Amino acid sequence: MTDKQHHADSLFQGLVIFVALAFLTAVEFFIAITNASILLLTLVALIKAGLVLYYYMHIGKLAEEDDEHDHQSFAWKLATNRLGLWLFLLSDAFLFAGLLVARFNLLGFTRPHLNQNLGLIVTAVLLISSYFMNRGEKQMAMGDKKGFLLSTALTFLLGLGFLIGVVFVEWPTAAHEGLTPDVSAAGAVFYMMTGMHAFHVLTGLLFLLVILRNGARGIYTPEKHWAVEAAAVYWHFVDVVWIFFYPALYLMGRAL
Amino acid sequence: MKQASSGSFSRAMLFLLVGTALGTALGVLAHVLTSGEFQTAFLTDVPSWMLGFLLGTLGFFYGLIGYTGIVRGLVFQVLGTLGGAAFVTLIRALLGMELFNTGTFGFTEPAWVFGGLAGAIAFMAGVGALTDWWKYALGEPVHDHHPEEATLKDYFGVSLDHKVIGIQYTATSLLMLSVGGLFALIFRLELAQAGLDVISLNLYNTLMSLHGMVMIVSILLGIAGVINYLVPLLIGAKDMAFPRMNAFSYWISIPAAVLLLSSLGFGGFDTGWTGYPPLSTRAPLGMQMFYLGVWVAGWSSILGALNLIVTVLRMRARGMNAFRMPIFVWAAIATSIISLTATQMIGLAFQLAMFQRLLGMPFFDVAKGGNPILFQHLFWFYSHPVVYVFILPGLGVISELLPVFARKPLFGYRWIALSSIGIALVGFLVWAHHMFTSGMNEYLRVPFMYSTLLVAIPTGVKFFSWVATLWKGKIETPTPMLFILGGIVVFLLGGLSGPPNATVSTDLHLHDTYFIVGHFHDTMFGGYIFPFFAALYYWFPKATGKRLNETLGKWHFWLMTPSFLVLTLFMMRVGLLGMRRRIADYDPALNFDWWQFAMTISAYLIATAVLIFFYNVYKTLKSPQTETGNVWNSRSPEWQVASPMPAHNYDREFEVVGEPYDYGLAGSTYVKM
Repeated sequence: MTDKQHHADSLFQGLVIFVALAFLTAVEFFIAITNASILLLTLVALIKAGLVLYYYMHIGKLAEEDDEHDHQSFAWKLATNRLGLWLFLLSDAFLFAGLLVARFNLLGFTRPHLNQNLGLIVTAVLLISSYFMNRGEKQMAMGDKKGFLLSTALTFLLGLGFLIGVVFVEWPTAAHEGLTPDVSAAGAVFYMMTGMHAFHVLTGLLFLLVILRNGARGIYTPEKHWAVEAAAVYWHFVDVVWIFFYPALYLMGRAL
Repeated sequence: MKQASSGSFSRAMLFLLVGTALGTALGVLAHVLTSGEFQTAFLTDVPSWMLGFLLGTLGFFYGLIGYTGIVRGLVFQVLGTLGGAAFVTLIRALLGMELFNTGTFGFTEPAWVFGGLAGAIAFMAGVGALTDWWKYALGEPVHDHHPEEATLKDYFGVSLDHKVIGIQYTATSLLMLSVGGLFALIFRLELAQAGLDVISLNLYNTLMSLHGMVMIVSILLGIAGVINYLVPLLIGAKDMAFPRMNAFSYWISIPAAVLLLSSLGFGGFDTGWTGYPPLSTRAPLGMQMFYLGVWVAGWSSILGALNLIVTVLRMRARGMNAFRMPIFVWAAIATSIISLTATQMIGLAFQLAMFQRLLGMPFFDVAKGGNPILFQHLFWFYSHPVVYVFILPGLGVISELLPVFARKPLFGYRWIALSSIGIALVGFLVWAHHMFTSGMNEYLRVPFMYSTLLVAIPTGVKFFSWVATLWKGKIETPTPMLFILGGIVVFLLGGLSGPPNATVSTDLHLHDTYFIVGHFHDTMFGGYIFPFFAALYYWFPKATGKRLNETLGKWHFWLMTPSFLVLTLFMMRVGLLGMRRRIADYDPALNFDWWQFAMTISAYLIATAVLIFFYNVYKTLKSPQTETGNVWNSRSPEWQVASPMPAHNYDREFEVVGEPYDYGLAGSTYVKM
């Protein structure tokens, strides 16, 4: 009974975080249409990223104790893999930070003219996918295989929706309005930032396919499912990147 | 290491000759068919040489090990490149774009670039570095075990043993060192006297640029080799934390090196190793292959660094807390922090430049709102810290070996350990000192001048510690110690010639002169080449069970050191007198001919010294003599077991009970086996 209660609490927590993130995204949008303070937008993005890092990516697990000297134990391997994954994300974060540096160096306090509705829609889609990813991972830990498959499949579909929305809707729309990759630095920055992010979404989708297939075949157990955790953390990382890219491209500065 | 049977070796040499001849002949034939001129084609057609080089290398490895491992990888890379290029050409056909271009060797530039990337991935599939991950993805079981004793074939294919990978890295590094050195010897010949008389301007520019980047890749591979071989042994681990990724990191560097060198065959490039736009956006196709090669090599650095950090954080022996780790491990950590993070920035800089060429995205085109200075910021954010990546492991080797040969405790252990981290962190704050003359905002100059001068403090800590360690020591001078002492002297020269470049007022005059070239080669030789050779002489018995010949080692040292000092001091002199760097020719009225000639002679003497080293390695491996004990009377754990190192390192766990460098103190122990 207490176990069940705990599970329900844990799923509920994911929902609360999702609502908070959605609210903060609305706040961001509101700030942008009223006074567009870059400082305030940065602050909100940092809070959002912090929420995802702590609750969805459970960064705190890095500090968990384990038996340091039994290198054959599952616990040791899990903690080691976790550290490796986080270092990879740290490295990857430098790539995206570099893209942000390029954006502010070239465009300063201006931004490309983009379709705001599309931007908000794809952002929302990616955010919802993150919620289902979190739900799926927790369901796996509870032994709810069906729930895990359903949530992960939803994550996959939403992720695919994001990818299609950016590459096959947003890009043609922007190009149609004159913002092509070769027309100006603003165009180059827009396509490179969204393109590199979309590439990471694509790899995340491939990981999701792998855990869907292997999950359906029953390879993961509630105790041992590192692949699921890794795919989830990676997926949330891609979301964190978008948490910074969305305001940097759509909200900050004066539209050109 | 097991010996190659002489049969397969002579077969390999035969195939090398046949492959080279065949490749060159094919290249010349293609050249004659497309341009219709024969007389000069044989001597000047660089693409033909490159084709000969490729087929010759393939033939050599095929003769040695047959169609497996690296041979399969290289064949896959060639096919993958052509397949990728054909794929893009097909898409271009569907879009109605230009399909072929004789100016870019048949395929168009985007087709070649995509082909190059596809070729690198195909190499990894061909060599077998992706097989286990594919199995993981399919949910199939994989095995971690590696064979008890590595055979010759294991060294030319995917092995998961960190000792094999360490030797693979080191051998590849020495090969690249020879290639980069050869390039230098060719353009040094051109510089020996005023006038343009040996090679063309374009070839000079390409060789000069490639010398820089090939050497950088060689150094990255060299430190990765030493780190891979040593760190698990020093901390008492069975292997690296992620053996599969370790193999991946090594093998991805091979297609990267092929791409990098292929830039010679693809028309070369003329930007120097920095690849600055706007010049790089107009350079021949070779520019793209250079960018792509470095981009791919970056993955080797990033993943290798990640692996090392996790290994050290998670796999130390019992009792080895942070301040009982060997100094070399501290240095490896400091180096890896930089490689893990900053490498992304040069990758991004090169990627943006590649896309500007491919799709016309105007990141660095001022007319469309771009900014070439952005490239320099991104580039130097990596490329300055990376010189600390090169020297920190070398300085670690110096601190590691000095107490062994001075028979005294290392002076100021904690300060030395933390100074490595200090250099790495300060290294992130100094990049724009490369840009004092490049037109960046002037108010940035002074802060970057001071942050650069700050580097002298942790570096000074190291020097004072070395001097204090030598003070009143019972100094022995076998070959490794000679290289250590030589390294300290040369690095001191490099260090002292640094502040004039860091200070804005003097740098404005010194920038782009040979003074910088002299300074830089002093830091690289003192910080990397000398300690690297010291490490090779020192740990060679550990890896092979045989000790390199002392007499030849001393010849190597006493020939290389004075020649090198002449070379770099003369560089600084002509630099101060106004010799510009990077150029193929100079005004005879400057009266540099004699100095330049002396530098060229010195360069050839250095090459001779390195040849003596190679001969020494060859001769030692052939000789039946063995040296399996604690050759240098070291306290370090790897010397307490037999040589060559057993397949699974230590057969039992050991415990660290004391300080690592308490040489000469009665009753002190470091590890309890």
